[in-house]
Amino acid sequence: MTSVEPGLGSLPAFAVDAEQHTVGHREPPPQHSQRKSWSDRLLGVWAVLVFVFLFAPILVIVIYSFNNGRLLIAFDHFGLDGYLALFQKPVLSDAVMVSLRTGAIASVLATLLGTLAGIALARKPGRWTYWFIGLLLLVSVTPEIVDAVSLLPWLVFLGQDLGMSVFNDGTVRLVIGHSLFSVAVVTYIVRARLVGLPANLEEASADLYAPPVRTFLRVTLPLAMPAVLAGLLLSFTFSLDNTVVSAFVQVSGSTPWPVYVLSALRSGLRPEIAAVSTVMLVLTLVALAAVALVLKRAGDSATDIARTMAGG
Amino acid sequence: MRRRGLPGFLLAVPAWLWLLFFFVAPVAVVVWYSFGYKPGLFGTHANDILSFDRYAEVFTPTFFDTFLNTLWIGIGGTALCFVIGAPVAYWMALKAPANMKGLLIALVLVPFWTNFLVRTIGWLVILSPDGWVSHALQAFGLGPLEILYTRPAVLFGVVYNYLPLMILPLFVAFDRVELPMREASKDLGASRWRTFTQVTFPLARPGIIVGAVLVYIPLMGDYITATVLGGAKGNMVGQLVASQFQTAQNWALGSAMAVMLILIILASVALIGLLLWLIATPFRLRHRVSIEGVAS
Repeated sequence: MTSVEPGLGSLPAFAVDAEQHTVGHREPPPQHSQRKSWSDRLLGVWAVLVFVFLFAPILVIVIYSFNNGRLLIAFDHFGLDGYLALFQKPVLSDAVMVSLRTGAIASVLATLLGTLAGIALARKPGRWTYWFIGLLLLVSVTPEIVDAVSLLPWLVFLGQDLGMSVFNDGTVRLVIGHSLFSVAVVTYIVRARLVGLPANLEEASADLYAPPVRTFLRVTLPLAMPAVLAGLLLSFTFSLDNTVVSAFVQVSGSTPWPVYVLSALRSGLRPEIAAVSTVMLVLTLVALAAVALVLKRAGDSATDIARTMAGG
Repeated sequence: MRRRGLPGFLLAVPAWLWLLFFFVAPVAVVVWYSFGYKPGLFGTHANDILSFDRYAEVFTPTFFDTFLNTLWIGIGGTALCFVIGAPVAYWMALKAPANMKGLLIALVLVPFWTNFLVRTIGWLVILSPDGWVSHALQAFGLGPLEILYTRPAVLFGVVYNYLPLMILPLFVAFDRVELPMREASKDLGASRWRTFTQVTFPLARPGIIVGAVLVYIPLMGDYITATVLGGAKGNMVGQLVASQFQTAQNWALGSAMAVMLILIILASVALIGLLLWLIATPFRLRHRVSIEGVAS
């Protein structure tokens, strides 16, 4: 039982503890233990029901992706037409490619900015910290729709009124829109990791006359690396998921996948939507599993992983 | 005094500038627009005369009803998420086998990381009057399912979409309440219920607040759930803002709505924080006394 998750730090001890506890209490008062198991069982049943609830629509999408009918909602007969459409309709594969490309660029950018900021927050705190954390909080509480409506006129102003043609490029616009929230999240994650680690390794490096840049590259960055990778993959999935900002700032010709789905909602949902969504789901799960693995390797407990993956 | 590795906050400057230029500046422009007006049929905004008129317009019944509706969905949705999610988090953290914790967290995370829009479309398929649930109900003579495009459908959708954001912080909070603490409470003769209300729950309170805020904030600004499941009857502020920018082409009014939305979110979070603090103060004082009593 304890050997299942060797990387999970304090969990094995906890598990042993729990076992002893239940064994110790089970024997003397039978009435008490019966009531306990009854309420616990009820909790367990509730949890199972909630998990079914959480997975119901996902399961439906996966099942309906094998719908060969004309409309997604009415299941006609089983088949792979939805998946074949990905190869036959360039609109679909284009949308997916736009999403993947934007996700790659936006996540690298957000991770770069967020990692540097997170290191600064953890290692050089000062009066500026309050302002910066305040800004990050504001970024994370601002509803996506507000980002969307404010970014669109701003990009039009920069691109058309000021003539900075970069801002007319579809990918650039999407990357900007997707990066905002991700910068904040990566900063939180990297900061949280470094705050938990004392700075004495960096101090030792500096005492040994390593120039600041080398200390940064050889000591600080490796220490922060699990958080950096987690942040990178999280930003990538954020970007793949982004619908609202994308719908506003996108330029025709570079429509990302969720925006394509949103427009299909108005023109009629076809089974291929479910098929491509299933493919994207599998991609996201692979990315998630990679994050979890990285964090586990770095010695995080299940709880720490949950906290990191939920965005700090 | 620590030796200086790299000069001060320089590392944060790129992120600072990026957010200033692509977040603060655009939002500031929207705040500026909100004091203007819509000039004629073809203009979107003008700022030569400044006023609070657009804010007054937000408070007219047509729009204000949607704000109230959003607030109810926000509060109701957050409360429902708590009621549904808390037992799950409690079970995951304290009752489920310890070696299953990682798996259970993964099970909560998978829906959380599945595309938001696609999940909501999944419910569209399930709840549709032509769907199999509806057909099954009809077979039992319960009539077709007519929940879609109503306010309850939106409430249902947001509870579903934001539930993982409630379960995860609550799990973290309950997980942090160490077993010895709860055992000590029981060994000192407290009943299971008393242990829960006086030890586990107070210690988990920070997580409860985090969970409520994490659910409430994005829920208030939700645009997608209401668009997919709400239709005309289940309108929320997010759609109102979007329609002012996209269809009505009244950027001034849309901006005022966006600013109001942010203000309402910030104000209600502050209010909830204040209320919780006020409610918690007497409890905290009592707790401190009892803990000192045990220590001495």
